[in-house]
Amino acid sequence: MSEYLLEVKNVSKFFYGLKAIDALSMKVKKGQIYGIIGPNGAGKTTLFNCITGIYTPEEGQILWMGKEIKGTAPHKIAELGILRTFQTIRLFSEMSVAENIMSGRHIKSKQKWYNGIIHTPAYYKDERENWEKVGELMEFFKLSQYATTPAGDLSYGVQRKIEMARALAAEPELLILDEPAAGLNENETLELAHTIKEIQKMGVTIMMIEHDMEMVMSLTEYITVINFGAKISEGVPAFVQDDPIVIEAYIGIDDEDES
Amino acid sequence: MSNINFNKNSVMAIGVLLVMGIFPLFVDSAWLAIGTTFLVFAVVAFSQDIILGRAGVFHMGHAMFFGLGAYTTAVLNVHFGWPILATWAPAVLVPLVVALLLAGPIIHLRGDYLLVATIGFNIIFIQVLQNNIFGITGGPNGIFGIDVVRVFGVELFEQTHMYYMAFILLGITLFIMKNLDQSKFGRAMFYINKDDVAAQSMGISIRYYKLYAFALGAGIAGAAGSMFAVQYSAVSPEAFDVISSIMFFTIVLVGGSASLPGVLLGTFVMFVLPEVFREFETARYLVFGLAMILTMILRPRGIWPVKFGNIPAFLKKDVK
Ligand SMILES: Nc1ncnc2c1ncn2[C@@H]1O[C@H](COP(=O)(O)OP(=O)(O)OP(=O)(O)O)[C@@H](O)[C@H]1O
Ligand SMILES: [Mg+2]
Repeated sequence: MSEYLLEVKNVSKFFYGLKAIDALSMKVKKGQIYGIIGPNGAGKTTLFNCITGIYTPEEGQILWMGKEIKGTAPHKIAELGILRTFQTIRLFSEMSVAENIMSGRHIKSKQKWYNGIIHTPAYYKDERENWEKVGELMEFFKLSQYATTPAGDLSYGVQRKIEMARALAAEPELLILDEPAAGLNENETLELAHTIKEIQKMGVTIMMIEHDMEMVMSLTEYITVINFGAKISEGVPAFVQDDPIVIEAYIGIDDEDES
Repeated sequence: MSNINFNKNSVMAIGVLLVMGIFPLFVDSAWLAIGTTFLVFAVVAFSQDIILGRAGVFHMGHAMFFGLGAYTTAVLNVHFGWPILATWAPAVLVPLVVALLLAGPIIHLRGDYLLVATIGFNIIFIQVLQNNIFGITGGPNGIFGIDVVRVFGVELFEQTHMYYMAFILLGITLFIMKNLDQSKFGRAMFYINKDDVAAQSMGISIRYYKLYAFALGAGIAGAAGSMFAVQYSAVSPEAFDVISSIMFFTIVLVGGSASLPGVLLGTFVMFVLPEVFREFETARYLVFGLAMILTMILRPRGIWPVKFGNIPAFLKKDVK
């Protein structure tokens, strides 16, 4: 087995001739918090979409624990233990918070095909265990009071939490966060940083795209910087921060999130 | 599960079931027949709702599965001499298998494309019936002389018998719908319906659960078809044409997608109300059309919209 949990090797992804990702490579170790940064339109989200199977890159390899997963369907990627959140929140907005988080239990649920028609003692046990897990996550994210509220009725900050809780409910090996701090106020961002640390302590590896430099620099252990789809720098935060090429790429773009 | 609490809705549900249960004691045979057909149509509407309201698949050929069940019972009974009871399992399985075979290649299509494809299937089905292709469907006239249900030498031939058989079928259907909604299968359908990208990213196979919905919906529609064939002791193609499919599709949207009371109410508005206005002949379908237009304008989610948040009580303790 590979020393790395996830390896991206020379991956390229085109959109009608536009090279959104250009021969990108990176290696994520188990237990790391790995940062991806880069200006708007650099190809960060596209990279995440390639890893999670939403897109299939035209070139290169994506290895999960040493095995090629390029071209695998998104639901199979989730079954492998790679779960994600979205830059533009994608919740089941008419459904309650608890039901949203329950979707994360889908791959863990052991219900048989006939349990959609008739319930058995094994079904009741499974159903109960999964709802209990949802309860635990609602407590962890301080969402219990919203258990029955439709997710779409809640504030942006709360919705971001629900998305993370939903992904965590699947007990992921790798959690992929696409700009988790976008749209959050200062307090919420601090709380988020704390939460991400806690998740790491549970043994979950984390990859995150983030424009909030303070947060990226304090949280991540290793960073890849992307510009125009290609890697322009990588290393520990202290190195990347002072890399002239990175500073160059960011000239005229302020640190704060402008989206 | 133990989260049955006797709230307003449960009381109302029991009330409605009671009224339906004693209905035959107070009406003449014409109304009894309408009542029976209402129950059968409600079952078909619920089965359409699994595919349309839950899985969110724009399927407008559901009368085909209803018809497949009816013709399975009719053919096996009239041509092959099977007792009605013995035709029940095939009447469920034939539409179920056909649904899987037909939906398989089109299930990935976008909503509007799939809608056209399912209408196409329905039209071909009617053509097959009318042209008497295998020499067993009886062409445009259909099949007559379908037997009654016999259990232990007792013949269930009266309208009242028909009514209660349909009533039990509706009960079984509601039981299945409840179980579906409280299982990973029913929830997966909702997730796919509300946001398919998010659903996939949570590990849900869109194809599997849409096909599951099709198979289950077609099977239940087939059971209703079998009951329909027995009630009228005859089957003919026009009961299963695209117009009927449009009616079932509309019942779900007018009543309220994925809402049990909504779909029942929808069946009442779309089927029973026009019967009430039967004397006014032309005005009859006015109700039908007006109900469709007004609901979509005034209540786009249906007369009685679905309510989410049906979670175990122990998770609600912090809810203010
Ligand atoms: N589905 C698509 N079809 C065509 N072009 C796309 C598609 N998705 C992304 N792109 C293009 O690929 C490039 C990279 O986009 P991407 O969303 O990955 O950037 P990003 O680094 O996540 O930016 P941001 O920080 O603004 O989120 C952009 O030029 C974008 O317009
Ligand atoms: Mg992005």
